[in-house]
Amino acid sequence: MSAFLQYVVNGLTSGAFIALVALGYTMIYGVIRLINFAHGDVLMVGSFIGYEVVVTLVAQHWPIALIVLLALLAGMAFTGGLGMLIERVAYQPLLNSSRLAILISALGVSLALEQGAQLIFGAGYSAYPNVLSSAGFTFAGARASYVQVGMIVLSLLLMLGLYLFVHKTMAGTAMRALAMDKDAATLMGINVPRTILLTFMLGSVLAGASGVMQGLYYTEINFFMGFLIGLRAFTAAVLGGIGNIPGAMVAGFLIGLIGSFSDGYISSEWSDAIIFAVLIAVLVFKPTGLFGERVAERV
Amino acid sequence: MAGVDRLRRVIPRSPRARLGAQGGLTVTAAAVALLLPLMLSTYSMSVAVTVVMYAILGLGLNVVVGYAGLLDLGYAAFFAIGAYTSSLLQLDAHLSFWETLPAAVAAAAVSGCIIGYPTLRLRSDYLAIVTLGFGEIVRITVTNLSVTGGANGLYGIPPATVFGTSIVSESGLYYLGLFFLLIAIVFTGLLSRSRLGRAWRTLREDETASEAVGVPATKVKLLAYVMGAMVGALAGMYFSSQFGTIDPTTFTFTTSVTILLVVIVGGMGSIPGMILGALVVIALPEALRPISSYRLLIFALGLVLLMLVRPQGLWPARRSRQGSFTAPLAPREATATTATAGEATEAPAAGRPEPGSLLLRVSGLRHSFGGVIAVNDVSFDLHAGEILSIIGPNGAGKTTVFNCITGMVTPQRGEVSLRGERSLLKVKPHKIVSLGLARTFQGVRLFEGLDVADNCLAGLSAHQGRLVSRHGLLGRTSAQDRREALRWLTFVGLAGKAHVLASELSYGDRRRLEIARSLMSRPLALLLDEPAAGTNPTEKRELMGLVRQVRNSGVTVLLIEHDMGVVMGLSDRVIVLDQGAVIAEGPPRQIRSDPRVIDAYLGREDHEATEAVGEVSE
Amino acid sequence: MKLLTVADMHTYYGHIAALRGVSLHVNEGEIVALLGSNGAGKTTMLRTISGLQRPRSGTVSFGGADITRARPYDIVAKGLGHVPEGRRIFAALTVEENLSLGGYLARRDHTIVAERKQRVFDLFPRLAERRGQLGGLLSGGEQQMLAVGRALMNEPRLLALDEPSLGLSPVMVKTVGEVIRRIRGSGTAILMVEQNARQALALADRAYVLETGRIVLDGPAANLARDPRVQNAYLGGSAEEAAPSP
Repeated sequence: MSAFLQYVVNGLTSGAFIALVALGYTMIYGVIRLINFAHGDVLMVGSFIGYEVVVTLVAQHWPIALIVLLALLAGMAFTGGLGMLIERVAYQPLLNSSRLAILISALGVSLALEQGAQLIFGAGYSAYPNVLSSAGFTFAGARASYVQVGMIVLSLLLMLGLYLFVHKTMAGTAMRALAMDKDAATLMGINVPRTILLTFMLGSVLAGASGVMQGLYYTEINFFMGFLIGLRAFTAAVLGGIGNIPGAMVAGFLIGLIGSFSDGYISSEWSDAIIFAVLIAVLVFKPTGLFGERVAERV
Repeated sequence: MAGVDRLRRVIPRSPRARLGAQGGLTVTAAAVALLLPLMLSTYSMSVAVTVVMYAILGLGLNVVVGYAGLLDLGYAAFFAIGAYTSSLLQLDAHLSFWETLPAAVAAAAVSGCIIGYPTLRLRSDYLAIVTLGFGEIVRITVTNLSVTGGANGLYGIPPATVFGTSIVSESGLYYLGLFFLLIAIVFTGLLSRSRLGRAWRTLREDETASEAVGVPATKVKLLAYVMGAMVGALAGMYFSSQFGTIDPTTFTFTTSVTILLVVIVGGMGSIPGMILGALVVIALPEALRPISSYRLLIFALGLVLLMLVRPQGLWPARRSRQGSFTAPLAPREATATTATAGEATEAPAAGRPEPGSLLLRVSGLRHSFGGVIAVNDVSFDLHAGEILSIIGPNGAGKTTVFNCITGMVTPQRGEVSLRGERSLLKVKPHKIVSLGLARTFQGVRLFEGLDVADNCLAGLSAHQGRLVSRHGLLGRTSAQDRREALRWLTFVGLAGKAHVLASELSYGDRRRLEIARSLMSRPLALLLDEPAAGTNPTEKRELMGLVRQVRNSGVTVLLIEHDMGVVMGLSDRVIVLDQGAVIAEGPPRQIRSDPRVIDAYLGREDHEATEAVGEVSE
Repeated sequence: MKLLTVADMHTYYGHIAALRGVSLHVNEGEIVALLGSNGAGKTTMLRTISGLQRPRSGTVSFGGADITRARPYDIVAKGLGHVPEGRRIFAALTVEENLSLGGYLARRDHTIVAERKQRVFDLFPRLAERRGQLGGLLSGGEQQMLAVGRALMNEPRLLALDEPSLGLSPVMVKTVGEVIRRIRGSGTAILMVEQNARQALALADRAYVLETGRIVLDGPAANLARDPRVQNAYLGGSAEEAAPSP
């Protein structure tokens, strides 16, 4: 039982990180119908930005809380900008081209980010200085660190922020309208290109946050990490029903749990395969994801 | 025989004129390829071996992505399965290299079915992710199983032997590779020119229209994976003979992406493009070795640039051309074939029905979309040999009725039966075509990237879905196919435009091509959806004449139309729909003066509107 | 005073000409009907005017400004509203949210948006009753009202309506007609594409008839309603086409 609960704790933590990334995939797909292969790599970039900040400031003995805060802010700001840049340069010109062309472009961006990171930081792992305490508490034989709880809470706060933005502000409602019906949204006077840009920014900011948090939590980062977490996050987005924001949140945690159980009960070597198998199985029975899609398909 | 000779003169089998230039290029390239080992160092030859291998892989992925339009991001799985199957059989079952060939190819073919099956109902983006997933599953599996050697892989694999000699030198491996490359080129080339190749092209262009002309979508998609997988297995076998060892690091997502790069950069769908793509993707960075660490980065950026600037690749496939006819008819032959067009059509599978007999029965059809009742208890009979029109204002439910009859929509209630016996509900669209019901679409759906001839030939798909028959998918377009196509193109007046691209036709010609295409399936009844939409009075008159000729050739016509002139002039009987329900039925003259019909079309008078008291829910 | 002027418009779908040299105009405060059979190009006309589609040649000017190549959201900002065919309301949003989106361009000023919403509710009391309901759950007629109300939130000078009576019951059609009159009464000009020729001609001041991309008839609505050519266009071609079937 204690092992089970431990897996749950770990799974919820990794699930929080995945959910943040899944939101980006689902929002971007909602507005431009693209699987943004580069999204996971944007997370990776955020992770490295945070790394630079932490390494620099730790050497100068800044207070930990401030370091963490600045790392997060720097990572999020940088990835937000990066996401917008990618959209403008690599996707926007292709919005009227074939779906294949824009998918390939996304692959190209993904590859470019990975290669760039590899060239700058090398192929091995970079290590975040271990700045977070491992203090925690036990319950029913399982252990949860305050950091884990903190990260889950922070992720939930970010998700809540996104949810409020999307549902309570006009800009957010415009985003949802755009995902539902592009022409009708245009006829409301909504500046569609700018709304798309905003969507990318929001998704990328969340990915950056996730990247920094993962760097702080797991401490080892490497140029290929984006690919791996990107696939899990995309699986969560599809599982939750692409375009479905609450669905992505729930499914993110779900995938985290599945991965954790797989790591614990089977072996972490098989976890990715298992997660993929879950995805494939769901799509066979429900081609529109577990909770159904929230994108309009014109008949 | 004289007749066959005349036929051959009229419809040449291959575009001989073009062969001159193309043949010269091919011969030169082949000569260079064969003499390469004499010109290059051992190291360069090892690069050449890798180029050849990726050319083979590219050709295989080209079948899936280029021909069938299925974005497979996990193609390395087939590569791996071929390599591991061959290696394991050589190591554990002590088979020789060549003896493992059938097993490796078979294993890949089976995996093609397994991987392809879940993707059948998925959109292109989901399909990409699922194939990616399968690629990773295969890689992870071979990494974790001890039987496949785990992370270290398999080693001690004996080299391939040809006529008793072991192939160990780079030049030897290179020639072995050329041999496999030749097989791959011939195989994929034949596929491209086969009916299956055409079926893939139609699927890629317009899946709905493809099903509507009788292409069995599921079978055809699975075959794409299977064929592509088989070529991948060849490459896998070849790879296993190169170093004596194989390990999972060769079969990663990056490998799948590299193969995809070969296909995209070279030019999707084109065979020479694959070789060019392999050269560019593999050999070019070797030539730029000083910056090899930047190789993939440059490629990645180049890929984005390529999509922005030239998404069709460096040597894209030429449009159409496969198996179509090229020469316009000589005048003497033209009159000869026009005469035959007037005669009765070839008997369809079920035999010509008695004029007047029941052909199609629709009863109690009911269907709604999201709370709006589109078809409300519609019933009617279609009798053999008649022209029956369904009319009604926009939104009255006419096209939905067609969709229910042709299997594109399963109605929530009601029955559609052929000749009163065989139910058509839940029958797949392409099967309904083979049973004798062909349709055209509102707004004309053609295969834009194919020429007139190919569009027309696609109409035979319903009868050419078998795998092993000579008249099936793997066969080539036959002289008989061409004869039929020519006959129907002449019938509609398009014989002179056989090699014009569908996208370049005028609106009237598009409509005519669609009709010719649907007549190719030897239908019992032709369902025309608003054939007169967008036509001017002259085109309208010609269309009406054509529809009469269709009926005279023995095909019953069921027509949806808005244009009252067309309806009145053509129909034997008319059915009027309004808001999903039948409000009138009878001969044209009677319908024309029916006050209910007049109201439905022109709008109701105010005083009648007030009769509908109170409730306004739809 | 010409509010909207379309001059020699040619719009293509690929190689197919949907509009071949169409010219028309709408004056301030007018109701103009655009009639024609299916496929004649009516919807293409509206989409080209509102910027959702680019013409190959020709010009559109609105309120004196050339909007031929303007971006659609700028055209909306200039006061040209378009209620598309099939209503296209946001089914997953409530009536209230749909209207808020209609007032997107005025979103900074909550008071104004609230005022306009109230005016829409006054015009459509039924929508007020259903303000919290999801758009997808409304009946066809109510959705039409919502679509029109949504467009009115931007206080357009010209409202382009694409087949407002499509799929509606006779009573709803009558209601829609009354609404259109009231909208014109408050100063908004209307360009209306309609299949229901009788209703359209009863409402409109002037009308155009579109056939395969060309204007074949135009003039005061009352004249067109009596013109036998309009009757023929909708109920049957000329005598020579009505050949007896074999």
